[in-house]
Amino acid sequence: MLGTLRAINIRYTQGIINPYIPRTVIDSTPILLSLKLALWTLLLLLPLGILIAYHLTKLDRFKPWCEGLFALPLVLPPTVLGYYLLVGLSGKSILGHSLVFSFLGILIASLVVNLPFAIQPIQRAFEAINPNLLEAAQVSGLSNWQIFRLVQMPLAWSGVLSAAVLTFAHTLGEFGVVLMIGGAIPGETKTISIAIYDRVQTFDGATAGRLSLSLLIVSLIAIALSYGVLRRPRFIRDGQHHA
Amino acid sequence: MAYLGDHDLFEMVNTMLKVRLFQDSPIPLQINLDCEPGSLHALVGPSGSGKTTILRMIAGLSSPPTGLIENDGAIWFSANQPSENNARLTAAQRPCGFLFQQYALFPHLNALQNITIALQNSGLGKSERISLAQEWLARAGIADLWNRFPHQLSGGQQQRVALTRALVRNPRALLLDEPFSAIDMPTRKGLYKILGELRREMRIPIILVTHDLREAELLADQITIIDNGISLQTAPPQTLFSKPRNSRVAELVGLNNLYFGHFDSGRLSWDGSNHIFSVIDKGKIPAGHAVNWVIPQGALSLHKVASATSFPVRITQISSIGQITSMHLQIEGSQHIVNWEASSAEVLRLSVELGSLAHLEIDEEKIHIMPIRSINDPRRFQG
Repeated sequence: MLGTLRAINIRYTQGIINPYIPRTVIDSTPILLSLKLALWTLLLLLPLGILIAYHLTKLDRFKPWCEGLFALPLVLPPTVLGYYLLVGLSGKSILGHSLVFSFLGILIASLVVNLPFAIQPIQRAFEAINPNLLEAAQVSGLSNWQIFRLVQMPLAWSGVLSAAVLTFAHTLGEFGVVLMIGGAIPGETKTISIAIYDRVQTFDGATAGRLSLSLLIVSLIAIALSYGVLRRPRFIRDGQHHA
Repeated sequence: MAYLGDHDLFEMVNTMLKVRLFQDSPIPLQINLDCEPGSLHALVGPSGSGKTTILRMIAGLSSPPTGLIENDGAIWFSANQPSENNARLTAAQRPCGFLFQQYALFPHLNALQNITIALQNSGLGKSERISLAQEWLARAGIADLWNRFPHQLSGGQQQRVALTRALVRNPRALLLDEPFSAIDMPTRKGLYKILGELRREMRIPIILVTHDLREAELLADQITIIDNGISLQTAPPQTLFSKPRNSRVAELVGLNNLYFGHFDSGRLSWDGSNHIFSVIDKGKIPAGHAVNWVIPQGALSLHKVASATSFPVRITQISSIGQITSMHLQIEGSQHIVNWEASSAEVLRLSVELGSLAHLEIDEEKIHIMPIRSINDPRRFQG
């Protein structure tokens, strides 16, 4: 354990104060890495989020506990989450080496951190569907899978979309947990927000500014797009009930 | 031996919808219903009496702890029955159509898609499903609205689509949960007509839940009065109005001339006055037994001049609602009030006014008496 933490300390130092990156040109690697991380997170987390959200709506007795468990990443400080992930991932994985300080490691961390952002909008959307419609589907002879595919998903798509945007934007901006798990290895774990921190630490205000601006623009575009698409058509509102 | 046609063979199977439901909570239920194919059976009762719960249980959307639901020779549900194995078909497995009060059309699908979705598991190909759905839309008189979305349709049109969706699977029973209550009167009449036609063609049991007694009277072959989860009486509408089983039924079907009395071998004495009526009973009521009794409107007539059998009455209240005038007639020498309803024209012809004296004729043959059971009987008079 101590050994692991000492090793981590060395990797941090290596990554953050890296004298070999030229300071005058903007390095696009962190931006691309962040986009890659965000897209992978999205790809893996959306189906998982839909699955979990679907089952959460059906829970009865243990619902608050299960909901609470999946919402924990919202309230825990990144250091606490990061610490547990670090301990959990520092052992040898099935791949034969530790996942700490690797892209796979920060991807796993990102999946965990984003769980509530993926689950909650989808769950809200499922719960907003008028229960009469699900009963109508049942008495029309549809199986649960058919009801999910033909009724629930089409009516909950706006929730899925907001989950996607939130997850994407949040992954782009994630800092604490990724830093704790990944350190700041260029091209591997040094995402844009860590690169910004890195540049600020080395008094490279100009690069930090450019990186910050690019992150701001990408995030704004993502959110604006989602708001534009999320302007719900009337049929979605008709399908919802307001209890 | 005479040749048995397909029709005769069909008739030999017990095709009746049989419903037996029992539970103690959340609302107590004691339900016993039989509905023949082709007949429309209305469940009527005050709100909260359990009508919709019964319908949902038949459809398989919820289940009682004890009961039996059988239709068209197949057991849909059986729990805690002596000789039957427990069985429980899911809602999707039960071949029945269900019409919701608020239509419950899928908002993201157009009218045609709302219907073809019910054919998902029919084994038909896509084009067959579409042509079958179009055929049904035409039968419901809305063929040209096939590509409209539910929010682009009026309430009546939506309910037609919903009815089509319920019937396109060729169900063996049709369940209607207050399907007309959100629809205006002229549109409702159109729907009644369609329902009547379909009913003749499809020959399946139809159960209608409604709180509207007039609607039930208009559409139903049989009415079951439900109160607090108990089926109080099942009868054709006219029987229900003229011969309610007990005072609670009389009250629920809106019979307001309900009185106490004692019955002794053909003679009914009216408590609180010294009037005696000769009333026929089938010999079920023991001598001197306390009874509730009702005077149906059809037994009453009002006259300006007295006759040998008429009661002098004082008019204590007159209220006119459109073509109908309702009066309170107080029988002279007693506290009893008789409600009398007549057409406003007839009242005009009688030229009576508030406070004036008239003569009331009661047709004894139409008086209906109901024994009062023990104090604990929920069916005793609760007025």
